[in-house]
Amino acid sequence: MLGKLTLRQKIFSYACLILLAILILFPIYYMLTVSLKTNRDIYRVPSLLLPNPTLANYAELLGRRGFAVNMRNSMIVAGSATIVSVLISCLAAYSLVRLRYRGRTWIGRLILFSYLTPASLLFIPLAVIISRLQLGNTLQGLIFTYLTFAAPLSTWLLMGFFRNVPVDLEEQAMVDGATRLEALFHILLPVIAPGLVAVSVFTFTGAWNELLLALIFTTSPEIRTVPVALQYLITGDVFRWGLIMAGAVVAAVPIMALYYLSQRFVVQGLAAGAVKA
Amino acid sequence: MHPLPAPQASQLPMASPAVLPTPIRASRISLSRRTSLLGYALVAPVVICLLILVVYPFLFGVAISFTNREIGSEGEFVGLANFIYLSKLPSFQKSIVNTVVLVGVVQTMKLVFGLGIALLLNQAIRARQFWRGLILLPWAMPAFVAYLTWKLLYLPQGGAFNVISVGLGFGNVDFLSRELAMPSVILATFWRGFPFWVISFLAALQSVPQEQYEAAAIDGASAWQRFWHITLPGILPVVLVVVLLSTIWTTNSFENIWLITQGGPSDATMTFPVLAYYGLQTLRIGEAAAVSVAMLPVFVTMAFIGVKLLEKE
Repeated sequence: MLGKLTLRQKIFSYACLILLAILILFPIYYMLTVSLKTNRDIYRVPSLLLPNPTLANYAELLGRRGFAVNMRNSMIVAGSATIVSVLISCLAAYSLVRLRYRGRTWIGRLILFSYLTPASLLFIPLAVIISRLQLGNTLQGLIFTYLTFAAPLSTWLLMGFFRNVPVDLEEQAMVDGATRLEALFHILLPVIAPGLVAVSVFTFTGAWNELLLALIFTTSPEIRTVPVALQYLITGDVFRWGLIMAGAVVAAVPIMALYYLSQRFVVQGLAAGAVKA
Repeated sequence: MHPLPAPQASQLPMASPAVLPTPIRASRISLSRRTSLLGYALVAPVVICLLILVVYPFLFGVAISFTNREIGSEGEFVGLANFIYLSKLPSFQKSIVNTVVLVGVVQTMKLVFGLGIALLLNQAIRARQFWRGLILLPWAMPAFVAYLTWKLLYLPQGGAFNVISVGLGFGNVDFLSRELAMPSVILATFWRGFPFWVISFLAALQSVPQEQYEAAAIDGASAWQRFWHITLPGILPVVLVVVLLSTIWTTNSFENIWLITQGGPSDATMTFPVLAYYGLQTLRIGEAAAVSVAMLPVFVTMAFIGVKLLEKE
């Protein structure tokens, strides 16, 4: 399969790849240019080029529009959901992979089933439950509901990473007198550190990107997360596409930076188990 | 392989301490018990979370769908009334057809192009890392950012596709009209979703043993024969998992529709998650829950196959 290509095959392959690159990059290019244009330029003189770049949209977004508050909310929600989820998932994954007890298989199935259950099937009953628990319109409520997808995702991925580590290391440590939890935290977790990075990136991204639950559970403007704040900009009466695209760029930067900084681990994680797209 | 006594040890009838022959035996039994207890204790937080956040809402949702519950009132059992109402509701019928069309077309496109691009990247091309990074871009960006950007591309005023269309002399095209809204949503959903397939397929292709191709080359197999007899069987398990998971998620995706068309114009892109969301906004929770519950047979079948496939991994 990796043999030498003929010239014609080469030309065909690279032509396809260049076409693909245009398909991928063009929307991103347009998003960036519109974020740097005034409303007047966007509507009056529509163009694919960028004659008068300006940072006015970014200034308005982060200044008058208070987008920094939305960014902070998203950071708090995604960060807390990730920390809680990865922590409890480490314990659960260790238990399911390394310890033998009754009902283990069924608990494993419960986690897989939860991993496959999409929020669109759960959000209506969840709305009733959250309001009954008085958690509506709070960041805590959002963090809590995000465990619906975060906990099964991190547990499932971590189980894959744990399974790939031979038990000898931990056994040795336990023969030397370490307890099981010491073996988990001092031996196993350092070995799967790249896996922990991948799992955290996926969980954080999942929470950062979530729109449906956040749309339902947050009502007041000051606790809106980034995707909710942006969706209110397109359902409003006046469309400010320069502003919306500036928001999109600001929202995408942390996540994309995270992905590309940890790309090695992320691709490993993808191979370890399919990850919600 | 495992340091602990076999699980059956804990099921031995408990002997009174006096009869126990040696202290070693006693500590063994209690060790396996301690292991079980530790196992339950460690898995408990996640299990409790999932019982509250997945299992209970799941069952509660089914129960609500048989009531006329509204915000502020518990409602009463109404049997199948919500489902009968839905079956006659044009929006609901439309949402089922649209969901099937959207998922069918998008997934076929992802499979064909995903496999094609993965095969392309699996050849001896230069800078494969660079291309892989490039292809990851749409998937690495948040879904809401991708769909907002596509909404912008489709805008009648100031949208990039209209700039191009006018520039080429075709005049203004309304990409979000009743006729074109669905193809437009399909293209955007494809754009955001295909990298996941390419990267998964590429990883699978690279795990197919190279010797098999060398052996086939010696036997004089054609490129098509090599693909059909070596490549395809080699990557089939991954293909099945990716198709199934992505189908569950695409069927249930909300952002792609909500941010581009909000289900319109006149239900042309209404899918069942969006209809359920509108249902929740009308505050008639029983009916809204019935929309999701009507999809359960399909979901449960896919989830059942999914659990089997993933357990095999």
